Amino acid sequence: MTFISRRDLLKRAAVVGAAATASADVARAFQASDDVAPHGPAEAGHYAGAAHEMAAAREPLENLTATEADLLDAIVARLIPTDATGPGATEARAAHYIDRALGGALASSRQAYTAGLEALDRYSRSSRGKPFTALSATDQDSVLIDVETGAATGFPERSSVFFALVLNHTQQGTFGDPYYGGNANFVGWDLVGYPGVRTMVTAAEQQRLEKHELTPNHKSAYDYESFTKATASLSRQSSGREGA
Amino acid sequence: MMIEKGVVPLFGVSGWRKGVRPLFRCLLALLAAATLGAQTAPQKIVVGSPTLIADQRIPRDYTPDGRNVSPPLTWSQVPAGTKELAVICEDPDAGNPPPFTHWVVYKIPATAKGLPEGLPIDPAAAMPAEIAGAIQGVSGFRRPIYRGPAPPPGKPHHYHFVVYALDAVLDLKPGLNRAELLAAIQGHIIGQGELVAIYER
Amino acid sequence: MATKLKDTDVVIIGLGAAGGVAALPLAQAGLEVIGLEAGGWLTRRDFAPDELRNNFRGWPQAVQKANQEVPTSRANASSPTTPRAAIHPMQNAVGGTTLHYWAQSWRLNPWDFKVVSETKRRYGASRIPAGSTVEDWPFGLEELEPYYDKVEYEVGVSGQAGNINGKIDPRGNPFEGQRKRAYPMPALRGTEFLDKMASAARSIGWHPFPGPAAVNSRPYQNRSACMYHGFCNRGGCHVDAKNSTAVTTIPRAQATGHLKVVPRAHVTTIEVDGGGRMTGVNYVTDGVEYFQPAKVVLLASYTYENTRLLLLSKSKAFPNGLSNNHKQVGRHYFSHNQGAGVTALFPFNLNSWYGLPAQGVAVDNWADDNFDHSGLDFIGGGNLWVYVDRRPIGAAGMNTFGRVPNWGSAWKAFIKENADRSNGAYLQKTTLPYEDNFLDLDPVVKDPLGYPVCRVTAEYKDNERKIGAFIQDKMEQWYREAGAVAIQRAPVGGPMGVSTHAYGGTRMGDNAETNVLNRFGFSHEVPNLGVLGASVMGTSGARNPTLTAQALAWRTAEHLVKNWNKIRQT
Repeated sequence: MTFISRRDLLKRAAVVGAAATASADVARAFQASDDVAPHGPAEAGHYAGAAHEMAAAREPLENLTATEADLLDAIVARLIPTDATGPGATEARAAHYIDRALGGALASSRQAYTAGLEALDRYSRSSRGKPFTALSATDQDSVLIDVETGAATGFPERSSVFFALVLNHTQQGTFGDPYYGGNANFVGWDLVGYPGVRTMVTAAEQQRLEKHELTPNHKSAYDYESFTKATASLSRQSSGREGA
Repeated sequence: MMIEKGVVPLFGVSGWRKGVRPLFRCLLALLAAATLGAQTAPQKIVVGSPTLIADQRIPRDYTPDGRNVSPPLTWSQVPAGTKELAVICEDPDAGNPPPFTHWVVYKIPATAKGLPEGLPIDPAAAMPAEIAGAIQGVSGFRRPIYRGPAPPPGKPHHYHFVVYALDAVLDLKPGLNRAELLAAIQGHIIGQGELVAIYER
Repeated sequence: MATKLKDTDVVIIGLGAAGGVAALPLAQAGLEVIGLEAGGWLTRRDFAPDELRNNFRGWPQAVQKANQEVPTSRANASSPTTPRAAIHPMQNAVGGTTLHYWAQSWRLNPWDFKVVSETKRRYGASRIPAGSTVEDWPFGLEELEPYYDKVEYEVGVSGQAGNINGKIDPRGNPFEGQRKRAYPMPALRGTEFLDKMASAARSIGWHPFPGPAAVNSRPYQNRSACMYHGFCNRGGCHVDAKNSTAVTTIPRAQATGHLKVVPRAHVTTIEVDGGGRMTGVNYVTDGVEYFQPAKVVLLASYTYENTRLLLLSKSKAFPNGLSNNHKQVGRHYFSHNQGAGVTALFPFNLNSWYGLPAQGVAVDNWADDNFDHSGLDFIGGGNLWVYVDRRPIGAAGMNTFGRVPNWGSAWKAFIKENADRSNGAYLQKTTLPYEDNFLDLDPVVKDPLGYPVCRVTAEYKDNERKIGAFIQDKMEQWYREAGAVAIQRAPVGGPMGVSTHAYGGTRMGDNAETNVLNRFGFSHEVPNLGVLGASVMGTSGARNPTLTAQALAWRTAEHLVKNWNKIRQT
């Protein structure tokens, strides 16, 4: 797979994400961005096209810097790639999950990401001669293998510690409840074949599952009204369904 | 059973040439025949490289300090009757127990004169034509690829690039590690040689 | 200066599995009971089916007192303590860990009460493992049977009996101790995969049976039956089908008017008078200090905290800690030998997305002394438990059996095919106490109030390691018989560490030189102090401790009621 620019990835993600979350995304994009022309929160239909362009131009970040986010996007795209088996961490918006969580439940890892991402890019330049985002996919994999095994130098602890952290969070961002910003459009749940959150599973439904007859319901835990939600991110009020 | 590194015969070729008493010589011959099948001791293969120099520092592009690609190797004086070859890169100064394995390659066609630089790290990618059919086995990093020296700082480690010439095309499955490969080629090694280089961080 | 409160009959420290059960018979008898609980109330609305929150972010454990006092731990007296976990394995709440535990609800087997005498009888005294301080319990299973029965019906346990009054029922466990009657509810439903495993067990001559669970298999006491929604593992129940003490015995005790629940009460020390009788409990709520006088105290704050509170409660009468003049507090500790698991890969989907860890099939053929140990070099054995439990993030992190790396395209293709094809067995094994496994106070690390935390010094010994390897062999055999194509084994043995199944530290036994408590759970040295929980148990058995701790708690409470005038402070 050839190198894909962040802008293209975002375009792709925005298109994929549009159907399910257009109105929430649009509302948020307009509220959050300073660059937008002074429209108020808008109906999805009227401004949908413009919203896609907004998302491609600059996705609102909550905790990571733009440079950090670019690098993290490129890393997660290799950890869980988009390939013959289907969409991956990019389409799942795993990096967005991490960005959001770093302001809340994963705040204790914020420093580790600052230091680790910087070390990874420095290692990429010194060993491969280029920033990570400029490498071919194969060379990116080679760098990540060295970071994974602890062979890469220049990290605050063994590079394998940072690698394990990012891999862990990437899995959370790909396979966790979409309420937290990842697993967009249930891309992750579809990959592993999880048929979605149900508050009741009858014996008949279990049997349908056993006969491959249970279709995914694409439901989040928080599509069910009865539950309290996790603490919202400290860094930003959410206007949409998403919490932290 | 743990196989010692290098599977060196019980006595060197030079020892054989030194004058030994005929009885001892006879016993040695019997012992050699018993140990190695009806074959003589493995012949010495000469292992070289356009970029690696014996006992010298390995260039950084063959290590994680650089591009971490596999180095090119060449070999000569491979015995007649060689049907396929294998290569292991190992570090006797590391591993629990030693050695630590950096690279395992087998089912190299007998026609190959060496390994080109930079074997693929993507398992789906094909091997270069001159070594078509070769398989990269599982290293100490638990991946079927070359990963170069990353010794803890302080002292230089020695990296042995060992080449084995085998007398048969063996049924070697993908995914073998060093111990499994050595067990499978036991008794089929008719040629062996190595190039040793060092690296220090 | 602490605010002194009005006197009460009984204070229970901790309203979890054990404290939450003891409250009911006491309140029903008309005693005035105050339950001091460090946590707060949680309800169905707090239990969203959310894997990230439950299983990766420690909800609702992320916000509580226990996390401030996670014990330190080391393998033995010569090794350093390892870094502490960020989260305590147990939960502070009204109902405690019963809110989110797996809810497996086993009785111990007869052998567990008589390990010493039975081993001597069958194999000779030399087969008691070297260095073990194991004793027979001061009573046998038959003494505890009525209390197991009481709790099973009061709390609601579903299961299939194997031995009712001596008559063996082949659908149940042929090795279980005799029981008076059936479970109040039938066992949880099976699945195609569980049926396959049961069938495989039978084909090799074993006796599989469904396991007992404190989970409703049908509506019970006006609470719903289990919904099998798949978030039971470290998750609370959204329909109150998991029978925590918070939805069963505690509200029932409150309804008598004789139980007052005080949440967010952080107990620090227990007081005694000059004569060595317990007088009450010090606690802090929202930064304010209180002294709660009581005629009797039942300490039920989980194994580590039970030992810790006693050691912190020093006085002239008890310079080594409360009830510790015989130096037995903290001794005979062990973490359950429940690791060293086996995982299998099958060439077909197991359909495990919806289910719960208490829904499964068990084999006891290799537990306890159910098989001949004459030619073996260990005593005891293990329960083999195969269950239904899978969620998406966990599935993505599955063991790849050495076939692919942990990321990348090859990995992705592997999990796309295999995410629902692996199964990990839960193997609980006989664990014994040893001379050099113990709890004490850490010499350095303190909680935010300045009190030393508990320190665990314990490792698995030869006997436990040998059982571990033996049981792994059996589990592999079972998996392969059912069609598994690959097996992985976790390492056996090593440091015991901080555990959800922690036993000892306040052991119960007739001998006051080697036990903290008498056969009814009251201190040999402090007559009006009782202790509840697995800290009183001297052997583990090959199953979870909770139902046993609850049965013992009921028995202790009933003893207190029957002997109130003798035990209370005058």
